[in-house]
Amino acid sequence: MASRTSKTFLSLGRINIPLLGLNKSSGKATYATALSINFSSGNKGLPDRGGRGPFVRRPRREAGEPRTGKMPVDQDWTAVYPSAAPFRPGSVPLPVRMGYPVKGGIPPEKKGNLELIKIPNFLHLTPAAIKKHCEALKPFCTEWPSALETDTKCDEHFPIKLESKEYVSAGPSLRNPSVRIVHLRVKLSSLNLDDHARKKMIKLLGERYCKNTDVLTIKTDSCPLRQQNYDYAMYLLTVLYHESWKTEAWEAQKTVADMEDYSWEDSPSQKNILDVLLRMKVAGEGDGEEVRQQLLGRKDVQDYKDSVTRLKNEGESESSMLQYKEAVKKVFNM
Amino acid sequence: MINSKNFRHVTNVCVSLLLLRCMTTEAKRNRAARIRVGKGDKPVTYEQAHHPHHIGHRKGWLSQHTSNLKGEDGAAERTVEDVFIRRFMFGTFHGCLANEIVIKRRGNLLNVCAVMLQKLPPQKFYFLIGYTESLLSHFYKCPVKLEIQTLQDKIVYKYL
Repeated sequence: MASRTSKTFLSLGRINIPLLGLNKSSGKATYATALSINFSSGNKGLPDRGGRGPFVRRPRREAGEPRTGKMPVDQDWTAVYPSAAPFRPGSVPLPVRMGYPVKGGIPPEKKGNLELIKIPNFLHLTPAAIKKHCEALKPFCTEWPSALETDTKCDEHFPIKLESKEYVSAGPSLRNPSVRIVHLRVKLSSLNLDDHARKKMIKLLGERYCKNTDVLTIKTDSCPLRQQNYDYAMYLLTVLYHESWKTEAWEAQKTVADMEDYSWEDSPSQKNILDVLLRMKVAGEGDGEEVRQQLLGRKDVQDYKDSVTRLKNEGESESSMLQYKEAVKKVFNM
Repeated sequence: MINSKNFRHVTNVCVSLLLLRCMTTEAKRNRAARIRVGKGDKPVTYEQAHHPHHIGHRKGWLSQHTSNLKGEDGAAERTVEDVFIRRFMFGTFHGCLANEIVIKRRGNLLNVCAVMLQKLPPQKFYFLIGYTESLLSHFYKCPVKLEIQTLQDKIVYKYL
């Protein structure tokens, strides 16, 4: 309809002032012709002058009372603001004021207040409106499966967790390159790994493994599509798993420095403590293998072993240092 | 050497004369978006009365979109669109704008909010609104909605 009226206006302008051209068409001339020709039929009392005669402005219609004056108290507010819309002072029956007051004054009123239009409003999200939304969405929802009540059950049935993000932004384009990133998280305890496989897997993962939570995170973003990145992540997981089960020939060359945990057997600490104890003992007992084994079997030496292992593996803390202290005192009979 | 000394003395005298006679060369004052205080007969809207350093404190933002957030792109394109839309509206509704244009973007939708004076009959307004909406939608390949409010006169905040 807008296009049709536009054609009529343009045609009127062109026909009636052909010599002057559009640039010269002053407002008054075009208005006069347009009004008299177009609105004569629907006019209340203006005579059809056919484009001639003095121009009389038709009486200006008074603006009526804003809608706020006619709103009943129990109206359906969701009909006034069914969707997100800017603030309309004539539709919101609240005496809001917004703005910094002039000195000795009050904040400006809502009529023509640009500040109220600038801010986002939630007039379309009243509790009644949200209830309606929920009612509309209910037919499309299904029940949560009863076998997945707790988090642990979810982890048990679905150990691999995939994460990817969707982005909504303001602008004509839907595309966002960050959408292709995929995170794959899995707990190592849910994978079937023996001791060697687990250690090898942790070595292969490097930074991608978090020791505290026992979670392996693979982040893939090298492919342009999310589907491709997902496939690549699953492939990586499969390869890691199979590789960690295999034992290569060069793995036999693993040295003490490569070990993940500290083990007390054949360590300098064991040698030292045995030497010290042998020297403490009454001379004449000899320095044989059996004596060493007997010493190792003693409870305080075992306690010492536990405390040293704990210190090396867990790091220094209040309780581990205390334990070490107790063990040393017992060994040296202090 | 003597010449240069004399010359410097002469120039110093000239400069001081200048300083005495005409305006002092003070530090440059900000002139951006500020209507200077005058006699008290200039009506000024809330938007014009507050200077740009009040944005975020006493004034809101005229244009809102997600491109200025961290990690988002498209800020330059949105800004250029905004500038064009403001000029377009200023020209299409010439003399009818009571205040600045507020542009809001909600996903794909471009929402242009304007407060206008009742200078034109409503039919002309409807035509111009339809014309603007269809033209801008075709231009920017996204739905453009105009939300117009009309007033009798401009709202005056104070007189400067």
